[in-house]
Amino acid sequence: MKFVDEFRDAEIGRAVAMEILAMVEPGRHYKLMEVCGGHTHSIYKYGIDDLLPANVELVHGPGCPVCVIPMGRVDDGIAVAHNDGVIFTCFGDMMRVPGSNGSLLDAKAAGADIRMVYSPLDALRIAKQNPDREVVFFAIGFETTAPSTALTLKRARAENVANFSVMCSHVTIVPPLKALLESPDLRLDGFIGPGHVSTVVGGRPFQFIPADYGKPVVIAGFEPLDILQAIAMILRQLSDGRCEVENQYKRVVPYEGNLRALEVMAEVFELRPHFEWRGLGFISHSGLKLSDAYADLDAEVRFSVPGVRVADPKACQCGEVLKGVIKPWECKVFGTACTPERPIGTCMVSSEGACAAYYNFGRFAREREVV
Amino acid sequence: MTDADTCGSHHCITCGDDGVPMSVVLVDEARGLALCEGDDGARASVEIALVGAIAPADVLLVHAGTALTVLEHVA
Repeated sequence: MKFVDEFRDAEIGRAVAMEILAMVEPGRHYKLMEVCGGHTHSIYKYGIDDLLPANVELVHGPGCPVCVIPMGRVDDGIAVAHNDGVIFTCFGDMMRVPGSNGSLLDAKAAGADIRMVYSPLDALRIAKQNPDREVVFFAIGFETTAPSTALTLKRARAENVANFSVMCSHVTIVPPLKALLESPDLRLDGFIGPGHVSTVVGGRPFQFIPADYGKPVVIAGFEPLDILQAIAMILRQLSDGRCEVENQYKRVVPYEGNLRALEVMAEVFELRPHFEWRGLGFISHSGLKLSDAYADLDAEVRFSVPGVRVADPKACQCGEVLKGVIKPWECKVFGTACTPERPIGTCMVSSEGACAAYYNFGRFAREREVV
Repeated sequence: MTDADTCGSHHCITCGDDGVPMSVVLVDEARGLALCEGDDGARASVEIALVGAIAPADVLLVHAGTALTVLEHVA
Protein backbone atom coordinates (compact mmCIF):
# COMPACT_ATOMS: atom_id res chain seq x y z
CA MET A 1 0.00 0.00 0.00
CA LYS A 2 1.21 3.46 -0.86
CA PHE A 3 2.56 5.46 2.12
CA VAL A 4 3.25 2.14 3.87
CA ASP A 5 5.28 -0.29 1.76
CA GLU A 6 8.02 2.17 0.82
CA PHE A 7 8.60 2.90 4.51
CA ARG A 8 9.17 -0.79 5.34
CA ASP A 9 12.09 -1.40 2.97
CA ALA A 10 14.54 -3.67 4.80
CA GLU A 11 17.59 -2.67 2.74
CA ILE A 12 17.09 1.02 3.40
CA GLY A 13 16.41 0.20 7.05
CA ARG A 14 19.76 -1.56 7.37
CA ALA A 15 21.48 1.42 5.72
CA VAL A 16 19.91 3.86 8.22
CA ALA A 17 20.87 1.51 11.07
CA MET A 18 24.49 1.61 9.83
CA GLU A 19 24.30 5.40 9.67
CA ILE A 20 23.12 5.42 13.30
CA LEU A 21 25.92 3.07 14.32
CA ALA A 22 28.48 5.37 12.73
CA MET A 23 27.12 8.41 14.54
CA VAL A 24 27.10 7.23 18.16
CA GLU A 25 30.08 8.04 20.34
CA PRO A 26 31.52 5.00 22.12
CA GLY A 27 31.16 5.35 25.87
CA ARG A 28 28.22 7.71 25.66
CA HIS A 29 24.76 6.45 26.59
CA TYR A 30 21.86 7.94 24.63
CA LYS A 31 18.40 7.92 26.17
CA LEU A 32 15.66 8.84 23.70
CA MET A 33 11.96 8.94 24.56
CA GLU A 34 9.32 8.01 22.01
CA VAL A 35 6.40 10.05 23.28
CA CYS A 36 3.66 8.23 21.45
CA GLY A 37 2.33 4.76 22.19
CA GLY A 38 1.94 4.18 18.46
CA HIS A 39 5.72 4.46 18.16
CA THR A 40 6.21 2.03 21.06
CA HIS A 41 4.00 -0.47 19.28
CA SER A 42 5.88 -0.10 15.98
CA ILE A 43 9.30 -0.34 17.66
CA TYR A 44 8.50 -3.76 19.10
CA LYS A 45 6.39 -4.98 16.20
CA TYR A 46 9.27 -4.40 13.80
CA GLY A 47 12.14 -5.07 16.22
CA ILE A 48 13.59 -1.61 15.66
CA ASP A 49 15.48 -1.59 18.96
CA ASP A 50 17.39 -4.68 17.80
CA LEU A 51 18.83 -2.58 14.97
CA LEU A 52 20.21 0.02 17.37
CA PRO A 53 23.61 0.11 19.05
CA ALA A 54 23.57 -1.05 22.67
CA ASN A 55 24.20 2.48 23.94
CA VAL A 56 21.05 3.88 22.30
CA GLU A 57 18.17 3.27 24.72
CA LEU A 58 14.55 3.92 23.87
CA VAL A 59 12.37 5.06 26.77
CA HIS A 60 8.63 4.74 26.38
CA GLY A 61 6.66 7.90 27.05
CA PRO A 62 3.18 8.70 28.30
CA GLY A 63 1.49 8.93 24.89
CA CYS A 64 -0.83 5.94 25.14
CA PRO A 65 -4.34 7.37 25.60
CA VAL A 66 -5.65 4.38 27.53
CA CYS A 67 -2.60 3.96 29.76
CA VAL A 68 -2.86 7.39 31.33
CA ILE A 69 -6.48 7.05 32.48
CA PRO A 70 -6.57 6.68 36.29
CA MET A 71 -8.70 4.09 38.05
CA GLY A 72 -11.00 6.71 39.53
CA ARG A 73 -11.96 7.89 36.07
CA VAL A 74 -12.95 4.33 35.09
CA ASP A 75 -15.08 4.16 38.26
CA ASP A 76 -16.72 7.44 37.21
CA GLY A 77 -17.56 5.96 33.81
CA ILE A 78 -19.02 2.82 35.36
CA ALA A 79 -21.14 4.94 37.73
CA VAL A 80 -22.59 6.85 34.76
CA ALA A 81 -23.15 3.62 32.83
CA HIS A 82 -25.24 2.21 35.69
CA ASN A 83 -27.82 5.01 35.44
CA ASP A 84 -31.23 3.77 34.29
CA GLY A 85 -31.74 4.12 30.56
CA VAL A 86 -28.13 4.94 29.75
CA ILE A 87 -26.27 3.45 26.80
CA PHE A 88 -22.59 4.01 27.59
CA THR A 89 -20.24 3.95 24.61
CA CYS A 90 -16.46 3.87 24.44
CA PHE A 91 -13.51 2.64 22.38
CA GLY A 92 -12.67 -1.05 22.63
CA ASP A 93 -9.50 -0.96 24.71
CA MET A 94 -11.12 1.35 27.25
CA MET A 95 -13.58 -1.40 28.14
CA ARG A 96 -10.80 -3.52 29.64
CA VAL A 97 -9.11 -0.86 31.78
CA PRO A 98 -9.45 -1.90 35.43
CA GLY A 99 -11.24 0.37 37.86
CA SER A 100 -11.24 -0.18 41.61
CA ASN A 101 -14.12 -2.63 41.30
CA GLY A 102 -13.77 -4.09 37.83
CA SER A 103 -13.74 -2.74 34.30
CA LEU A 104 -16.43 -1.43 32.00
CA LEU A 105 -16.45 -4.92 30.50
CA ASP A 106 -17.25 -6.35 33.95
CA ALA A 107 -20.00 -3.74 34.35
CA LYS A 108 -21.39 -4.80 30.97
CA ALA A 109 -21.41 -8.42 32.13
CA ALA A 110 -23.28 -7.28 35.24
CA GLY A 111 -26.03 -5.79 33.11
CA ALA A 112 -25.04 -2.24 32.21
CA ASP A 113 -25.64 -1.34 28.54
CA ILE A 114 -22.07 -0.60 27.47
CA ARG A 115 -21.17 -0.71 23.79
CA MET A 116 -17.92 -0.45 21.87
CA VAL A 117 -17.76 2.14 19.11
CA TYR A 118 -15.08 2.95 16.55
CA SER A 119 -15.76 6.67 16.56
CA PRO A 120 -17.83 9.28 18.40
CA LEU A 121 -19.88 9.50 15.22
CA ASP A 122 -20.96 5.88 15.86
CA ALA A 123 -22.08 6.90 19.36
CA LEU A 124 -24.13 9.76 17.91
CA ARG A 125 -25.73 7.33 15.47
CA ILE A 126 -26.74 5.09 18.41
CA ALA A 127 -28.30 8.13 20.09
CA LYS A 128 -30.35 8.91 16.99
CA GLN A 129 -31.48 5.28 16.78
CA ASN A 130 -32.50 5.25 20.47
CA PRO A 131 -34.28 8.56 21.14
CA ASP A 132 -35.80 7.25 24.38
CA ARG A 133 -32.37 6.41 25.86
CA GLU A 134 -29.51 8.60 27.08
CA VAL A 135 -26.34 7.84 25.11
CA VAL A 136 -23.01 8.82 26.67
CA PHE A 137 -19.68 8.72 24.82
CA PHE A 138 -16.60 8.24 27.03
CA ALA A 139 -14.08 10.40 25.17
CA ILE A 140 -10.40 9.61 25.67
CA GLY A 141 -7.28 10.47 23.74
CA PHE A 142 -4.85 13.25 22.94
CA GLU A 143 -5.19 16.03 20.38
CA THR A 144 -5.42 13.42 17.63
CA THR A 145 -8.80 12.25 18.88
CA ALA A 146 -10.19 15.40 20.49
CA PRO A 147 -11.17 17.07 17.15
CA SER A 148 -13.31 14.04 16.31
CA THR A 149 -15.21 14.41 19.60
CA ALA A 150 -15.52 18.17 19.04
CA LEU A 151 -16.97 17.72 15.55
CA THR A 152 -19.44 15.13 16.83
CA LEU A 153 -20.62 17.52 19.55
CA LYS A 154 -21.11 20.24 16.93
CA ARG A 155 -23.05 17.74 14.80
CA ALA A 156 -25.20 16.72 17.81
CA ARG A 157 -25.99 20.39 18.40
CA ALA A 158 -26.78 21.04 14.72
CA GLU A 159 -29.02 17.98 14.48
CA ASN A 160 -30.70 18.58 17.87
CA VAL A 161 -29.76 15.18 19.28
CA ALA A 162 -30.68 15.98 22.88
CA ASN A 163 -30.13 12.47 24.28
CA PHE A 164 -26.39 12.49 23.47
CA SER A 165 -23.67 13.61 25.86
CA VAL A 166 -19.91 13.25 26.27
CA MET A 167 -17.88 12.32 29.34
CA CYS A 168 -14.71 14.12 28.40
CA SER A 169 -11.38 12.60 29.44
CA HIS A 170 -9.31 14.08 26.63
CA VAL A 171 -5.79 15.11 27.56
CA THR A 172 -3.09 17.26 26.00
CA ILE A 173 0.47 16.19 25.29
CA VAL A 174 2.61 19.16 26.30
CA PRO A 175 1.93 19.29 30.09
CA PRO A 176 3.05 15.69 30.79
CA LEU A 177 6.19 16.28 28.71
CA LYS A 178 6.97 19.31 30.86
CA ALA A 179 6.35 17.21 33.99
CA LEU A 180 8.72 14.52 32.71
CA LEU A 181 11.39 17.07 31.83
CA GLU A 182 11.14 18.46 35.36
CA SER A 183 11.34 14.98 36.89
CA PRO A 184 14.59 14.26 38.73
CA ASP A 185 14.11 10.53 37.98
CA LEU A 186 14.77 10.84 34.32
CA ARG A 187 17.59 12.13 32.14
CA LEU A 188 16.70 12.20 28.48
CA ASP A 189 18.79 13.19 25.46
CA GLY A 190 16.01 13.72 22.96
CA PHE A 191 12.44 13.03 21.91
CA ILE A 192 10.78 11.22 19.03
CA GLY A 193 7.77 13.53 18.67
CA PRO A 194 4.21 12.23 18.23
CA GLY A 195 3.29 11.99 14.55
CA HIS A 196 -0.45 12.29 14.47
CA VAL A 197 -0.89 14.58 17.47
CA SER A 198 1.38 16.88 15.48
CA THR A 199 -0.92 16.60 12.46
CA VAL A 200 -3.37 18.55 14.61
CA VAL A 201 -1.15 20.78 16.79
CA GLY A 202 1.83 21.16 14.43
CA GLY A 203 5.44 21.53 15.53
CA ARG A 204 5.25 24.83 17.40
CA PRO A 205 4.00 23.44 20.78
CA PHE A 206 7.21 21.40 21.08
CA GLN A 207 9.54 24.37 20.66
CA PHE A 208 9.85 24.72 24.45
CA ILE A 209 11.79 21.44 24.60
CA PRO A 210 14.86 22.71 22.71
CA ALA A 211 14.35 26.31 23.87
CA ASP A 212 13.93 25.67 27.61
CA TYR A 213 15.51 22.26 28.12
CA GLY A 214 18.09 22.04 25.34
CA LYS A 215 16.82 18.72 23.95
CA PRO A 216 16.18 17.84 20.30
CA VAL A 217 12.74 16.78 19.08
CA VAL A 218 12.06 14.99 15.80
CA ILE A 219 8.40 14.49 14.86
CA ALA A 220 8.15 11.05 13.28
CA GLY A 221 5.80 8.78 11.36
CA PHE A 222 4.93 5.26 12.44
CA GLU A 223 6.55 3.01 9.86
CA PRO A 224 9.93 1.40 10.68
CA LEU A 225 11.91 3.67 8.37
CA ASP A 226 10.19 6.73 9.84
CA ILE A 227 11.31 5.80 13.34
CA LEU A 228 14.84 4.81 12.33
CA GLN A 229 15.27 8.02 10.39
CA ALA A 230 13.96 10.06 13.34
CA ILE A 231 16.51 8.40 15.63
CA ALA A 232 19.25 9.19 13.11
CA MET A 233 18.08 12.83 12.95
CA ILE A 234 18.15 13.17 16.76
CA LEU A 235 21.63 11.66 16.92
CA ARG A 236 22.76 13.98 14.13
CA GLN A 237 21.52 17.00 16.13
CA LEU A 238 23.38 15.76 19.21
CA SER A 239 26.49 15.12 17.16
CA ASP A 240 26.31 18.60 15.63
CA GLY A 241 25.61 20.24 18.99
CA ARG A 242 22.22 21.45 17.78
CA CYS A 243 18.79 21.15 19.39
CA GLU A 244 15.65 22.04 17.51
CA VAL A 245 12.26 20.71 16.44
CA GLU A 246 12.65 18.83 13.17
CA ASN A 247 9.92 17.18 11.15
CA GLN A 248 10.68 13.75 9.72
CA TYR A 249 6.96 13.26 8.92
CA LYS A 250 6.55 16.10 6.45
CA ARG A 251 4.38 13.99 4.17
CA VAL A 252 1.63 14.25 6.81
CA VAL A 253 2.51 16.92 9.40
CA PRO A 254 2.39 20.61 8.45
CA TYR A 255 4.39 22.79 10.83
CA GLU A 256 1.34 24.91 11.65
CA GLY A 257 -0.91 21.86 12.28
CA ASN A 258 -4.55 21.69 11.26
CA LEU A 259 -5.94 25.15 11.97
CA ARG A 260 -9.54 24.09 11.48
CA ALA A 261 -9.12 21.32 14.04
CA LEU A 262 -7.57 23.74 16.52
CA GLU A 263 -10.46 26.18 16.01
CA VAL A 264 -13.07 23.48 16.59
CA MET A 265 -11.29 22.28 19.73
CA ALA A 266 -11.06 25.85 21.07
CA GLU A 267 -14.79 26.30 20.53
CA VAL A 268 -15.92 23.05 22.15
CA PHE A 269 -13.34 22.44 24.90
CA GLU A 270 -11.63 24.34 27.66
CA LEU A 271 -8.74 23.32 29.89
CA ARG A 272 -9.47 21.82 33.28
CA PRO A 273 -7.50 23.42 36.13
CA HIS A 274 -5.89 20.03 36.69
CA PHE A 275 -6.37 16.41 35.62
CA GLU A 276 -5.13 13.20 37.17
CA TRP A 277 -2.81 11.02 35.06
CA ARG A 278 -2.13 7.42 35.83
CA GLY A 279 1.26 7.23 37.51
CA LEU A 280 2.03 10.92 36.98
CA GLY A 281 -0.49 12.36 39.45
CA PHE A 282 -2.32 15.65 38.94
CA ILE A 283 -0.94 17.85 36.16
CA SER A 284 -2.17 21.41 35.76
CA HIS A 285 -4.02 22.36 32.57
CA SER A 286 -3.50 18.92 31.05
CA GLY A 287 -7.09 17.78 30.59
CA LEU A 288 -10.02 19.05 28.54
CA LYS A 289 -13.64 19.56 29.54
CA LEU A 290 -16.57 20.82 27.54
CA SER A 291 -16.79 24.59 27.33
CA ASP A 292 -19.73 26.44 28.86
CA ALA A 293 -21.29 26.72 25.41
CA TYR A 294 -21.52 22.91 25.28
CA ALA A 295 -22.31 22.28 28.97
CA ASP A 296 -25.76 20.93 28.05
CA LEU A 297 -24.00 18.05 26.26
CA ASP A 298 -21.62 17.37 29.16
CA ALA A 299 -22.32 13.98 30.78
CA GLU A 300 -20.64 15.21 33.98
CA VAL A 301 -23.29 17.93 34.21
CA ARG A 302 -26.13 15.65 33.20
CA PHE A 303 -25.24 12.78 35.57
CA SER A 304 -23.80 12.47 39.04
CA VAL A 305 -20.10 11.55 38.86
CA PRO A 306 -18.38 10.31 42.06
CA GLY A 307 -15.00 11.85 41.17
CA VAL A 308 -13.21 9.84 43.85
CA ARG A 309 -9.45 9.47 43.56
CA VAL A 310 -8.40 5.82 43.68
CA ALA A 311 -4.82 4.77 44.37
CA ASP A 312 -3.22 2.37 41.88
CA PRO A 313 -2.78 -1.25 43.03
CA LYS A 314 0.42 -1.52 45.06
CA ALA A 315 1.83 -4.30 42.91
CA CYS A 316 1.39 -2.27 39.71
CA GLN A 317 4.30 -0.11 38.53
CA CYS A 318 2.61 1.54 35.55
CA GLY A 319 3.64 4.91 36.93
CA GLU A 320 7.34 4.05 36.74
CA VAL A 321 6.86 2.54 33.29
CA LEU A 322 5.02 5.64 32.06
CA LYS A 323 7.82 7.83 33.38
CA GLY A 324 10.38 5.58 31.71
CA VAL A 325 12.05 4.86 35.07
CA ILE A 326 11.77 1.09 34.69
CA LYS A 327 11.31 -1.26 31.74
CA PRO A 328 8.04 -3.21 31.67
CA TRP A 329 9.72 -6.53 32.43
CA GLU A 330 11.18 -5.02 35.61
CA CYS A 331 7.68 -4.68 37.09
CA LYS A 332 7.05 -7.41 39.65
CA VAL A 333 3.73 -8.51 38.14
CA PHE A 334 4.67 -8.22 34.44
CA GLY A 335 3.70 -11.35 32.52
CA THR A 336 2.62 -13.21 35.63
CA ALA A 337 -0.27 -11.62 37.52
CA CYS A 338 -0.57 -8.91 34.86
CA THR A 339 -1.13 -10.01 31.25
CA PRO A 340 -3.13 -8.56 28.33
CA GLU A 341 -5.89 -11.06 29.11
CA ARG A 342 -6.01 -10.06 32.81
CA PRO A 343 -4.38 -6.64 33.10
CA ILE A 344 -3.73 -5.09 36.50
CA GLY A 345 -2.31 -1.91 35.07
CA THR A 346 -3.33 0.20 32.10
CA CYS A 347 -0.01 -0.23 30.27
CA MET A 348 -0.93 -3.88 29.73
CA VAL A 349 -4.36 -3.08 28.28
CA SER A 350 -3.87 -1.24 25.03
CA SER A 351 -1.57 -2.57 22.35
CA GLU A 352 0.03 0.88 22.48
CA GLY A 353 0.92 0.38 26.13
CA ALA A 354 4.59 -0.34 26.74
CA CYS A 355 3.86 -3.46 28.81
CA ALA A 356 1.50 -4.92 26.20
CA ALA A 357 4.01 -4.15 23.42
CA TYR A 358 6.78 -5.96 25.32
CA TYR A 359 4.50 -8.87 26.17
CA ASN A 360 2.93 -9.30 22.73
CA PHE A 361 6.27 -9.18 20.93
CA GLY A 362 8.13 -11.53 23.25
CA ARG A 363 10.19 -9.15 25.41
CA PHE A 364 9.29 -11.02 28.57
CA ALA A 365 12.18 -10.66 31.01
CA ARG A 366 15.55 -9.82 29.68
CA GLU A 367 17.90 -7.13 28.65
CA ARG A 368 18.22 -6.51 24.93
CA GLU A 369 20.50 -9.05 23.36
CA VAL A 370 23.22 -7.36 21.39
CA VAL A 371 24.30 -9.26 18.31
CA MET B 1 -15.39 -11.41 23.87
CA THR B 2 -14.16 -11.63 20.29
CA ASP B 3 -11.29 -9.83 18.65
CA ALA B 4 -13.82 -7.65 16.84
CA ASP B 5 -15.14 -6.46 20.21
CA THR B 6 -11.76 -5.70 21.69
CA CYS B 7 -9.85 -4.58 18.61
CA GLY B 8 -7.82 -7.79 19.08
CA SER B 9 -4.19 -7.94 19.95
CA HIS B 10 -3.28 -5.82 16.95
CA HIS B 11 -2.86 -2.11 16.85
CA CYS B 12 -6.08 -0.41 17.91
CA ILE B 13 -7.05 2.30 15.46
CA THR B 14 -9.52 3.95 17.76
CA CYS B 15 -7.92 4.02 21.18
CA GLY B 16 -4.54 4.68 19.67
CA ASP B 17 -2.93 7.91 18.76
CA ASP B 18 -2.34 7.18 15.11
CA GLY B 19 -4.44 7.33 12.00
CA VAL B 20 -4.86 5.01 9.04
CA PRO B 21 -4.88 5.82 5.31
CA MET B 22 -8.31 5.37 3.68
CA SER B 23 -9.45 5.96 0.11
CA VAL B 24 -12.50 8.09 -0.62
CA VAL B 25 -15.34 6.17 -2.28
CA LEU B 26 -18.16 8.73 -2.15
CA VAL B 27 -18.42 12.29 -0.89
CA ASP B 28 -21.63 13.61 0.72
CA GLU B 29 -20.85 17.30 0.92
CA ALA B 30 -24.30 18.23 2.26
CA ARG B 31 -23.75 16.09 5.36
CA GLY B 32 -20.00 16.72 5.61
CA LEU B 33 -19.25 13.02 5.36
CA ALA B 34 -17.37 10.71 3.01
CA LEU B 35 -17.64 6.97 2.58
CA CYS B 36 -14.08 5.70 2.80
CA GLU B 37 -12.41 2.32 2.36
CA GLY B 38 -9.36 1.01 4.17
CA ASP B 39 -6.63 -1.24 2.84
CA ASP B 40 -8.51 -4.25 4.26
CA GLY B 41 -11.69 -3.34 2.35
CA ALA B 42 -13.55 -2.16 5.46
CA ARG B 43 -15.72 0.88 4.81
CA ALA B 44 -16.70 3.68 7.18
CA SER B 45 -18.39 7.08 7.19
CA VAL B 46 -15.78 9.72 7.83
CA GLU B 47 -16.10 13.34 8.97
CA ILE B 48 -14.47 15.60 6.38
CA ALA B 49 -14.87 19.00 8.07
CA LEU B 50 -11.14 19.30 8.82
CA VAL B 51 -9.91 18.81 5.25
CA GLY B 52 -10.48 20.87 2.12
CA ALA B 53 -12.21 19.74 -1.05
CA ILE B 54 -11.82 16.03 -1.73
CA ALA B 55 -12.90 13.67 -4.48
CA PRO B 56 -13.29 9.91 -4.93
CA ALA B 57 -9.94 8.03 -4.91
CA ASP B 58 -8.22 10.69 -2.78
CA VAL B 59 -6.37 9.17 0.17
CA LEU B 60 -7.13 10.53 3.65
CA LEU B 61 -5.48 10.02 7.02
CA VAL B 62 -8.38 8.95 9.22
CA HIS B 63 -8.47 8.73 12.99
CA ALA B 64 -11.54 7.90 15.09
CA GLY B 65 -13.86 8.53 12.16
CA THR B 66 -12.41 11.91 11.24
CA ALA B 67 -10.13 12.79 8.32
CA LEU B 68 -7.16 14.72 9.74
CA THR B 69 -5.40 15.44 6.46
CA VAL B 70 -5.31 14.55 2.78
CA LEU B 71 -2.40 12.25 2.05
CA GLU B 72 -2.89 12.32 -1.72
CA HIS B 73 -5.13 14.10 -4.16
CA VAL B 74 -5.56 11.67 -7.03
CA ALA B 75 -7.80 13.75 -9.29
